[in-house]
Amino acid sequence: MTTAEKLRFDPARGLEDRTLAVDAQVLSAWQGRLAPAVPAAAALIAVGGYGRRQLFPYSDIDLLLLFASDKAAMARKEEIAAFLQQLWDAGLRVSQSVRTPAECAELHDGNIELSISLLDQRYLAGDATVYGTLMEKLPRFVHGQRDALVRHLSHITRERHTRFNGTFHHLEPNIKEAPGGLRDLQLVSWLTQITGTTPRVFSPPVHVPELDEARRFLFSVRTCLHEQARRDSNVLTFDAQEWVAEQMGLEETAVMRDYFRSARAVHRSALAVLETEEARASSLFAQFRDRRSRVSNADFTVARERVYFRSPQQLEAEPELFLRLMQFVARHGMRLSLEAEQRMAAQLPAVRAHFLSPHPVWPALAEALALPNAALALRVAYETGALTALFPELERIDCLVIRDFFHRYTVDEHTLVAMQTLADLPQQKTAPVSSFAGLLSEIEQPAVLMFALLFHDVGKGAPREGHVDASLRLVDRAMERIQMPAQQCETIRFLIRHHLEMCATMNGRDPFDPATARHLAGIVGTVENLQRLTLVTYADISAVNPTVMTPWRAAQLWQLYLLTYNELTRELESERIEKAGSPEESAFLEGFPKRYLRTHTEADIALHMRLEKESRARGVAVDLEKLGSVYRVTLVTIDRPFLFATVAGTLSSFGMNILKAEAFANRHGTVLDTFSFADPLRTLELNPTEADRLRVTIERAVLGRTDVKQLLRSRPRIAPPSRKARIEPAVHFDDQASQSATLIQVVAEDRPGLLYDIASTISSLGASIDVVLIDTEAHKAIDVFYVTAERRKLTATKQEELRQALLAALVGHGGPPPASRSGSTDSDKQRAQ
Amino acid sequence: MKKIEAIIQPFKLEPVKEALQNIGIDGMTITEVRGHGRQKGHKEVYRGQEYNVDLLPKMKIELVVADARLNEVVQTLTTAARTGKIGDGKVFVYDVAEAIRIRNDDRGETAL
Repeated sequence: MTTAEKLRFDPARGLEDRTLAVDAQVLSAWQGRLAPAVPAAAALIAVGGYGRRQLFPYSDIDLLLLFASDKAAMARKEEIAAFLQQLWDAGLRVSQSVRTPAECAELHDGNIELSISLLDQRYLAGDATVYGTLMEKLPRFVHGQRDALVRHLSHITRERHTRFNGTFHHLEPNIKEAPGGLRDLQLVSWLTQITGTTPRVFSPPVHVPELDEARRFLFSVRTCLHEQARRDSNVLTFDAQEWVAEQMGLEETAVMRDYFRSARAVHRSALAVLETEEARASSLFAQFRDRRSRVSNADFTVARERVYFRSPQQLEAEPELFLRLMQFVARHGMRLSLEAEQRMAAQLPAVRAHFLSPHPVWPALAEALALPNAALALRVAYETGALTALFPELERIDCLVIRDFFHRYTVDEHTLVAMQTLADLPQQKTAPVSSFAGLLSEIEQPAVLMFALLFHDVGKGAPREGHVDASLRLVDRAMERIQMPAQQCETIRFLIRHHLEMCATMNGRDPFDPATARHLAGIVGTVENLQRLTLVTYADISAVNPTVMTPWRAAQLWQLYLLTYNELTRELESERIEKAGSPEESAFLEGFPKRYLRTHTEADIALHMRLEKESRARGVAVDLEKLGSVYRVTLVTIDRPFLFATVAGTLSSFGMNILKAEAFANRHGTVLDTFSFADPLRTLELNPTEADRLRVTIERAVLGRTDVKQLLRSRPRIAPPSRKARIEPAVHFDDQASQSATLIQVVAEDRPGLLYDIASTISSLGASIDVVLIDTEAHKAIDVFYVTAERRKLTATKQEELRQALLAALVGHGGPPPASRSGSTDSDKQRAQ
Repeated sequence: MKKIEAIIQPFKLEPVKEALQNIGIDGMTITEVRGHGRQKGHKEVYRGQEYNVDLLPKMKIELVVADARLNEVVQTLTTAARTGKIGDGKVFVYDVAEAIRIRNDDRGETAL
């Protein structure tokens, strides 16, 4: 039976056996070569892995030759050489140091490794008095130099982790040095030993039962690797994976799944201990971190940058507290304390049982997923097992290995990295990636994208089914349980169903063939879906491995987005709804572009029909609702001049930033307008009555009972920027960009009511606005209008007339105050008919 | 021996690789590159603003073959990479003085 075979059952036992065998060889050499020459004043100590009795085949034998004085050591140079030579001749690779007890209790750069290795010291032979002197000095030394030792360990660990990009996810991992490897396992033991040592008592190695399984696995694999290579080789190469799997009687993917599970447990444990000790070793750092305790609330407290449950029993009584914990982490970007993690682990069965039955979880989850540190919250929830308790579907992808040369990560890690990529996008400032950041800022509910990413690959755990179909089946189950609203369910289903589509198109179709953009446009249907799918694709590809999303590939994806976007926005009004369901529905929908049906759910259509009914009596009906972080106002009325300008002006007068606008008109001249806007001053949130006032004001403005100009005048004027920073207004016309309309680009200094001024000027000259595109760069507004007169492009005369009128409106406004709009905004207003 | 360097459309990489594998050519180096020839980039209008796409994403394939196989390999490659439109790419052929397999010091065509 080989050692490896024995180790399958008890690796530690095998290592101890080998230690005993080597002990015998070392003691025999000591007795034969050194003991006769130095009957006193010298001792032989095993250190490092040999000291711990964890001697792997072909590993170095670390020995400390402890002499009472330097002089005594110098006098026995020849005997020491003969002793070491005998060991080398016996086939042992010896790594020795010769020191006095005083030297062992000193700290300087040259011997810090020795100081650490002494934590694993074990007396072998020789003068017990010399050893006694060491053991007298050692606790005092370790206790006195505690902070320096912790700092050194922290430094070398961080450096070592950096060499491996800080991750344990490697296709061919080094099971000793990589994060989550045996060095990290040892680190946990050393740090607890250092902090547990008092001036009088030297702490023995501390046993961490949670890591027993990981230790057993890593020990077995390292033994196999050393035996296969017949040397100290620790890289689990593809070839070695085959061999180790054969030795262990497992599939290769099962070996790697076990490896990643072990490495994850060790890595988490090492980081937790390391961060706790680092904070303790640096009082200034600790003080800084404690300032964060101000963010504590009724449920959680914060100490040393870690989150604690305020009332430890609360989670037991109220499993939904877990959702508030996710929100807290997502808001403040802090991990859980060890205590909170343990508390969470103990309550996992209760949390799981609670969430197995349907609960309205989505609003709380969506709030967490839209916060700045959502990716960290998901990672923390996943690592503690709480996310899997909430969504048992994720169990299937736990440490699941995809064996190819592209995927660096296991499926669960790929999922977490994809979500992290999406969450990090707003910080990306260089092109072409910054373009994707711009897209994300326009998404109404980024939480939906995060949720789609969380489930996009869960189906990979179901081998007999296509992974997309399996993911859809599993996400349906999860969405039903958390009672997600129908519209979000539909979007998530769409994103998961098509998450491979853009990548496949990039790799397999000619982007400049018009059929390619048409094909993709047919799949996504709307600009909104295209934006969502582009972002999911960006995150999904980026999370395959850290180098795959090159600027080259990002540019390729962006190009595909542009081509499809242009295809979608080119001529939307060409296809019209001819007939729909009931006569009542038909009367309302006839003449709307077909896009209307693709962009609205049945619930939306029902709301629109209700508004249309109401508008018949009152002339106009307005609905206002909150959708995550943005608001949406929907209004139905009979088409009239200045309608777009009126609503834009009213919203500006309330300090709202218009993000997006859309309009449809049916055959009977009924117009359905939708404006999405942000409320940067939180007016609606802080003053509940303002929502009603806004609704009523829009109605009155549309019916001509309130003067929008007057409303805008009452907005507070903010001081204009310095002369140097002012933007000269400019108006450009383009007849080529669109097949049916003239494009007017207006560049001006942004200010409240600007959109109203431009739109009303265009309307006042009898032109109609087909599409509006809004963009803002700092206080510079770049607005583009697609305009027609009598359903044709503008004549040269009309263009000149409009240019003069627009410049007069922009310049004549006097010193324009800076914008109330902020960030990047856009609008896509389709005026049908 | 000849070195073949081909600049092709990215979406043609898979068909080209497959066609070469079908005639027994497995070894090649692939690089993501950007450039333009007569295709010269183009302008995209996005939200009323023009985006200049000067350098287009392309793939570069490099492989070295025995003289006797040159015509067959080039023919296979160009057939698989062709769409018939501007932007299909180019193939360049160079003479190779020597090839050495680092592992065992094989020389010449046996090293390929």
